[in-house]
Amino acid sequence: MELLLFFAVAAAALAVAVWLFIARQGDAEFEFLVDQRTDFKLEELSGNRAVFSCVVPFVNKGTQDGTIMDCFTRHLLPQEQFDAVEAFSRLELESRRRSDGYFEALIVPKTDGNAVIVTVAFAAKQGDIRQALTGMVDMPVEIYFQVVARGKWYVDKQRIVMMADEVAAALKPALAGA
Amino acid sequence: MAIVELVPVKTRILTPQDNIVEAIAAYAGDNIGPDDVVSVAESVVAITQGRIVRPEDMDPCFLARIICRLVPQKGSLSSAYGMQAAMDAEGKWRVTFAMIMGILAKLVGRNGVFYELAGEQAALIDDVTGTMPPFDKHIVYGPDNPNGVAEAIKARFGCHGAAVADVNDLKRAAILGVTAGLNPADLAQILIDNPFGNASQRTPIVVIKNYAQAARELAAG
Repeated sequence: MELLLFFAVAAAALAVAVWLFIARQGDAEFEFLVDQRTDFKLEELSGNRAVFSCVVPFVNKGTQDGTIMDCFTRHLLPQEQFDAVEAFSRLELESRRRSDGYFEALIVPKTDGNAVIVTVAFAAKQGDIRQALTGMVDMPVEIYFQVVARGKWYVDKQRIVMMADEVAAALKPALAGA
Repeated sequence: MAIVELVPVKTRILTPQDNIVEAIAAYAGDNIGPDDVVSVAESVVAITQGRIVRPEDMDPCFLARIICRLVPQKGSLSSAYGMQAAMDAEGKWRVTFAMIMGILAKLVGRNGVFYELAGEQAALIDDVTGTMPPFDKHIVYGPDNPNGVAEAIKARFGCHGAAVADVNDLKRAAILGVTAGLNPADLAQILIDNPFGNASQRTPIVVIKNYAQAARELAAG
């Protein structure tokens, strides 16, 4: 009986020790620093199309290395709110640019980070894009990211808002030159 | 004196729909002679064998989630999914036993015991990011029956020999499978500078030209 009790206590102590070890070890924790993003700037303007981009830094603020397996944007511009343009968005890693919209899985060491370039393109449904963007509304752009680290994989998202004022300001030099 | 020449062969991205022997025929078939040795990268062989799995298709067990915590962060088994892949390949209890023995061995100053006991696949598994897109989002196992793959390549092309190699830019080269009569250590030395290149170069086949002729001349003094 005493032997049984000894093994039970030893097993419990081992379980607590493992739990404490894991708790102390922690895991990766990613944050897109949306408040540190750059303003959207105009990349391209031609006929019925305008392209803007901004840079959003991110950091692994956790205590373990982690992998961003996938990362992509989702823009929210319902036609009920603004129907003059069709919007497209994508992102790419600032340090490893590519034009195919594919996000190559990336290991991010703990406390380290990088940045993504978010690109938003608008195509006018009718006429000139500069005309179409008159009356543009604030448009949320969500950044979805899938993480694999020590624990189970998960998907998280953070949101930036492409402000209508920002779009207007980015277009202003082009309009002045027109 | 025959000079051994390493000829990397560029291919498209090979997938589980490909057969490695047919891929070699398509991209290097005309350039393989009777004195040559054909070497192929182990991860590409594994991919063509369909030995890949997505983390989303796995459900790591409790032990995998605990034991992965004991692996240093840079290791492929440091994620629950990498560890689960090792357990699926080599057995849950074998890997668990290997980890316990590995920890005990470390306490007395001996490293590497875990990988000695956990089985070959435990050392060959590449976690996500370990392979070129689109397989960067997959865990890639080591190849199945690499000796058999090497023999199949030799039989198809009538070359001197063939090998399945695991080589990286850190001057590490291991021959996982080889045809009878070839010395794995010699081949590893020849491939030590990683003629397969990095993933973006897409040269998973390297033809070692004139290998047999050079070996004959060396033996003849």
